[in-house]
Amino acid sequence: MQRDVGSLPLAPALRVRLAAAGFQTAQEVLETGPCGLSKEIGISKEEALEALQVVRQECHSDATRTAGAPGTSRKCTALELLEQEQAQGFIITFCSALDNVLGGGVQLTKITEICGAPGVGKTQLCMQLAVDVQIPECFGGLAGEAVFIDTEGSFMVDRVVDIAAACVQHCQLIAEAHQEEDHLKALETFSLESILSHIYYFRCRDYIELLAEIYLLPDFLSEHSKVRLVVIDGIAFPFRHDFEDLSLRTRLLNGLAQQLIIIANDHKAAVVLTNQMTTRTGQSQSTLVPALGESWGHAATVRLIFHWDNNQRLATLYKSPSQKESTIPYHITPHGFRDVQPPAVTQNPEGTEMNPRKRPRREEEK
Amino acid sequence: MAAKKLRRARLSQELCERLSRHQITTCQDFLCLSLLDLMKVTGQSYGNVQKLLCKVSLACAPKMQTAYEMKVRRAVNPSSAFLSTSLHGLDKVLHGGVPCGSLTEITSPPGCGKTQFCIMMSVLATLPISMGGLNGAVIYIDTESAFSAERLVEIAGNRFPTYFDSDEKLFSMTRSVYLYRELTCGSVLKRIKSLEEEIISKKVKLIIIDSVASVVRKEFDTKLQGNLTERSNFLARGASLLKYLAEEFSIPV
Repeated sequence: MQRDVGSLPLAPALRVRLAAAGFQTAQEVLETGPCGLSKEIGISKEEALEALQVVRQECHSDATRTAGAPGTSRKCTALELLEQEQAQGFIITFCSALDNVLGGGVQLTKITEICGAPGVGKTQLCMQLAVDVQIPECFGGLAGEAVFIDTEGSFMVDRVVDIAAACVQHCQLIAEAHQEEDHLKALETFSLESILSHIYYFRCRDYIELLAEIYLLPDFLSEHSKVRLVVIDGIAFPFRHDFEDLSLRTRLLNGLAQQLIIIANDHKAAVVLTNQMTTRTGQSQSTLVPALGESWGHAATVRLIFHWDNNQRLATLYKSPSQKESTIPYHITPHGFRDVQPPAVTQNPEGTEMNPRKRPRREEEK
Repeated sequence: MAAKKLRRARLSQELCERLSRHQITTCQDFLCLSLLDLMKVTGQSYGNVQKLLCKVSLACAPKMQTAYEMKVRRAVNPSSAFLSTSLHGLDKVLHGGVPCGSLTEITSPPGCGKTQFCIMMSVLATLPISMGGLNGAVIYIDTESAFSAERLVEIAGNRFPTYFDSDEKLFSMTRSVYLYRELTCGSVLKRIKSLEEEIISKKVKLIIIDSVASVVRKEFDTKLQGNLTERSNFLARGASLLKYLAEEFSIPV
């Protein structure tokens, strides 16, 4: 109630007039009433009423915050958080080694960043996750929907069709093995068409479209409340070229990160970003580091780095608040993102292990 | 989209005038400011500024489509999804051929056959759809002066002797391959920017750039200090333009 007039979220011109007329606290403004206010500072009665409503709302939410009501505040005890976290689901990646390293899969309400050189499998993992988030609950999934924001144009529908078909087949095998009723009922709705129609795809051509889309995303997510995954494929691409003003870029990126954190928390969704790698030239050698600079490294909660080692793709968990750092190999198969098969078990010929879309990596000189 | 004027974003006239006094005329300028700056500049309250932000964002944001709609669109026109390379092994590995609507890069040590492959793809693109082509024109941007028209005619005649049985057919095929010789990075970029209108007017169905690396390596020496960023800028700008062209017109590049 003793709130200073200068800190109220009113229009600046209005604040200036209030200060000039001598008002100092919100209490005084509320006591005056709309007609008195309009006469004293020379605005119309409707504007005065609007201003009073804003002030009243601000004071009311201030009061509830100090009284400790949990409505608008974001504080709770660690015990409540623990219960929430344990009940929370994960989005599995179909590669059990990666799921173990991540502690169960991609976590909801957290931002996960995937960095890697081109061609290593970042978009493949994103497409796999967009399909996996829709697995029905009786099979261990989240039965959610996915938003895919593409800035690089690397989203291939045919590939998603392959991945989705393999996922449906996998669930059908499980259902046949267990023969439970709700499994069979869930399988009726979990078909190729339903998977594809629940992936919402946006193609952003430059950073302005990306910013605009992120501003509109909360409304979109409120309409489509079942969305549990937001993928932004290529957050680095629109920000890396055509930017002369680096401080503007840092500011925009930080604002973006804040909004994504808010979206992830409010809608209980997982946010997955893919980032490119850039070379940092040191004194004697050059190393590959994630792009967009040091300050962007603070935006993501969990960071995965994908890289090559001879012919094997490896994933390293680089930054995580709850899991330890480790590296695991993975494979991209025609069915999607998978574990590396131990050599004794596999009976498939070597040819089908590698994705037909990917050429085997040879030592290239840059 | 970013350069869209605020007037077209359905903001009120007086608001647009007020913003233009602060040199904010396009959606890009508007969205780059922080909320406090916006409040100062528009003179509106916090809640109103957020609503304005939503309105401006609606004007620039891309449209939503579900993956299913995309698949249906591709299924309706299966021939337009890929350009088959007429090499069965390659087509199988590429899941149908060179995909329409995205960039495909061909790299190899010198002398392996990249330019020959490009010339063959030009011939294939001019074939009618019934024979696996795209029935359209080809834009060939040549930076190494390696394109030989005689070779083009030779490939066409030997590969499809039944189709190119008359000289007239050969000439009409060569007429639909538009060759541009560009020797500097700047001219390549200018050419790519001018392609949009040409694609529509000439009904182009394939864009080939042979080769990007040669012109970039010639001009930018990576050992010099500022050149690395300039080079990446040029490459990134060219790449995003080409991606836009490929997606907008659903043609392979």
